[in-house]
Amino acid sequence: VRCQHYPPLRALQASAVLRGVSDEHKKEPFTSSSQQQFDPHPAGHQPEQEPQGPHPSYTGQGGQESEDYESEEQLQRRILTAALEFVPEHGWTAEAIAEGAKTLGLSVAAAGMFHSDGSELILHFVSECNAKLSELLEKEQKLVQLGEAEKKPTDEFLRDAVEARLRMLIPYIEKWPQALSVLLLPRNIPSSLSLLTSMIDDIWHYAGDQSTDFNWYTRRAVLTGIYNTTELVMLQDSSPDFEDTWRFLENRVADAMNMSNTASQVQSTGEAVVQGLMGAAVTVSNGGIECLS
Amino acid sequence: VPAGGAATRPCSTRAALQGINKPVIDRIIRVDHAGEYGANRIYAGQMAVLGRSSVGPVIQQMWDQEKDHLKKFNELMVAYRVRPTVLLPFWNVAGFVLGAGSALLGKKGAMACTVAVEESISDHYNNQIRTLMEEDPEKYKELLQVIKQFRDDEWEHHDIGIEHDAEATPAYSVLKTAIQLGCKAAIFLSERI
Repeated sequence: VRCQHYPPLRALQASAVLRGVSDEHKKEPFTSSSQQQFDPHPAGHQPEQEPQGPHPSYTGQGGQESEDYESEEQLQRRILTAALEFVPEHGWTAEAIAEGAKTLGLSVAAAGMFHSDGSELILHFVSECNAKLSELLEKEQKLVQLGEAEKKPTDEFLRDAVEARLRMLIPYIEKWPQALSVLLLPRNIPSSLSLLTSMIDDIWHYAGDQSTDFNWYTRRAVLTGIYNTTELVMLQDSSPDFEDTWRFLENRVADAMNMSNTASQVQSTGEAVVQGLMGAAVTVSNGGIECLS
Repeated sequence: VPAGGAATRPCSTRAALQGINKPVIDRIIRVDHAGEYGANRIYAGQMAVLGRSSVGPVIQQMWDQEKDHLKKFNELMVAYRVRPTVLLPFWNVAGFVLGAGSALLGKKGAMACTVAVEESISDHYNNQIRTLMEEDPEKYKELLQVIKQFRDDEWEHHDIGIEHDAEATPAYSVLKTAIQLGCKAAIFLSERI
């Protein structure tokens, strides 16, 4: 019986089991009964070389961790990153994860660590893309601060940031609709929503937003709308290099800018009208008083 | 070092955000920002009614200090990338109504409102100072300085209110309790929403 959720094993044990064949630590004292949950398929796979990344040194059950200790989280991330290569072929599935694990010299049973619907893989991908976007925006900002680049006007900045982020989907675009539906599962909504909001907040932060009133919310809501609709358009787009999508994006951003200009125009017109009425009222009342006298 | 000094703020944000207890700092700055915003609106309401009376200048002076406080929290909010509370539009109206309403009860009424609010705010700032001291006084030195200074300013306002016969207001204790209950609720909500 393959178990989807397993109690948090010490990474030592998990890594050791997954490696199927372990070299110098075969006599590692496994005391936990949770080993039964794994169906290790060593598949005769002898790792010719150590997998890349920190060389884990097992220091026993005592819990004293050496510097090369790789946490379970780090291991999972490595597997998921490796799995991304196989997504265009297998989709966001356990197969892709299994293939990824194989390239790292691990047993395909590694896929058992994750949900069969690929939730963790997709969330990992989204989080990686967001991190890449942040790095990109940070670099751009440094260039502007050093005077090596011009500061972009807001609409251009937003357009470029959203385009950069959406372009990261291109290699996986065929399978992206599947990913979106998984992200909308009730179980995943808190995480996917939080990833979305932090990405949008990042974009506005680097765009130079310093609002501390309700605008903080309206701006983010508007940009989220732009991002989501553009993403959906991109899924249907078959034009060369997605030019239709970028044109759609440009129009939506322009709409948003117009909306905010219109809003401030309406406000100043309104204020002018009120002042006019007040003036008229004063004139009338003065005229009335003069009539009486 | 960037050429234009004004451009350093986003750069220093990353440094400011390293190693701090973000959830705690978020709450502190969000609720303090909401509080100063509300205080501004309360004084605005009081000035609308009592601006031309004898206590006008006193209220104006306290209002000016609150404006400075709000400005400081606006800066901190951007520096620490904290989101403002969604309830700001509500505090906008509620604050003004409280200020104007208390002022309609007369000068003593306005002073009673000031005393109640400033006492709540001072208590609240003291709690925050305790929290930050428990966390790490060194790491949060700047923030602690700001909050301590503001707490002293608010307590000064409280004393001014007392000087101007706040306690002589009819139904003073009822009014004070009601306002302080409202403040507690506002603090609770603004920290979270």
